[in-house]
Amino acid sequence: MKIEFTLNGCPIHFEAPADTSLLVALRDYLDMTGTKEGCGVGECGACSVLLDGKLVNSCLILAAQAHGRKVVTIEGIRGSDGEPNDLQQAFIDYGAVQCGFCIPGMVLAGEALLAHNPHPSRLEIRGAIAGNLCRCTGYMQIVDAIEATARRRGETRHA
Amino acid sequence: MAEFSYIRAGEVSEALALLNQPGYTSRPLAGSTDLILLLRNRPGWCDRVVDITLIPELHRITREGDIVTIGAAATFTEILSNPIIQATAPLLVQACATVGAVQIRNVATIGGNVANAAACADSLPALVCLDAVARVLVPTQAFSWPVAELVVKPNQTIIPPGGLLESLSYAVPAPGSRSYFNKLGRRKAMAISRLTVAVLGRVDEMGTIVETRIVTGSATPHICRLAEAEAVLVGHQPSQALFTAAGRTVADEMIRLSGRRWSTEFKEPAVMAMTAQALAQIFDAQEPEVA
Repeated sequence: MKIEFTLNGCPIHFEAPADTSLLVALRDYLDMTGTKEGCGVGECGACSVLLDGKLVNSCLILAAQAHGRKVVTIEGIRGSDGEPNDLQQAFIDYGAVQCGFCIPGMVLAGEALLAHNPHPSRLEIRGAIAGNLCRCTGYMQIVDAIEATARRRGETRHA
Repeated sequence: MAEFSYIRAGEVSEALALLNQPGYTSRPLAGSTDLILLLRNRPGWCDRVVDITLIPELHRITREGDIVTIGAAATFTEILSNPIIQATAPLLVQACATVGAVQIRNVATIGGNVANAAACADSLPALVCLDAVARVLVPTQAFSWPVAELVVKPNQTIIPPGGLLESLSYAVPAPGSRSYFNKLGRRKAMAISRLTVAVLGRVDEMGTIVETRIVTGSATPHICRLAEAEAVLVGHQPSQALFTAAGRTVADEMIRLSGRRWSTEFKEPAVMAMTAQALAQIFDAQEPEVA
């Protein structure tokens, strides 16, 4: 079937079988390989993307469900200069990236949290990434990076 | 070649027509977090999914008088952040908050949870504790069934083929009622419930218990109120000894309904303690009153 949606701000369309998951569509049909497949059953969060601004597991959504809607993948998260944005830079600065496989999902989970809760507590940050597994178990640095970004964005807003 | 086709319904009447269109075996898609896995594991279970998740009226949460109605396609995120539900059914908020993680709660719906009727479905014990009623549409009429009757056993409901679960509603509990949902899983997030206990109750001005409802999840094949345990409490002053006695009765009822299984050794003391804990939570006024 023909599927159209807005991907990282750009309208796209492609043909795919109706039972294609959004994850497979992104990786195999659209070459957006930043979105990772970990478990394939909604347990690990590596395939997290934003659908109309909401964090979802792309392995548990049909590509057809995204038809006519807005999808943001990790490729759509960057600074205005095309470099890593402040959250991504914080992941680097705080040593939050080890093997890196979970990081696209973690960054999107962080962005989804900060979009509706600009000043999260550490507990809220942990809750927001509870659906994202890090096999390297570097959770503390990931929480640190999200917390620091929230603080800096707050300072920028109030400056 | 796709195993099934996909079609999106814009309104309820269209969804019903599509679900009953001859030549197809259609099933509603009400989130997809369970359905997509089921279709992967059981190809041919249906040949078309009818996406009902973008029908605006199925997301509506309303209160008319003392009746709260939740559209079947309301996501767990929508329910737990809704002021009507927060005020009238704190235990449903607690139950929805324990479902999966953000990614699941943003997509999975209460209607999907009920219609899929997994043994571990977190919203079911809370809904049964609220004496919730499901409204099911077929092309020619609408049925209202208590959720406790709608869900017969794990993965089995009385929703007829082509039927559409439209909404779930409950009467706002009497003033002064408090409720609590207690879940036991291996960890806080993304953990399938091993055991859940939903309770609701209130005392009169003398402090005597006048109403209690107790429902367990992942404990019995059929999710229902446990009348014998409820009867232990009514007419008495709250006390730890009374909560423990009610917990004992819940465990007895669980074993009577489920039989002794490999897990009973673990579940028996757990359900006793969780029941006593939940009752203490509402009768020691730890939880907010419904409004």
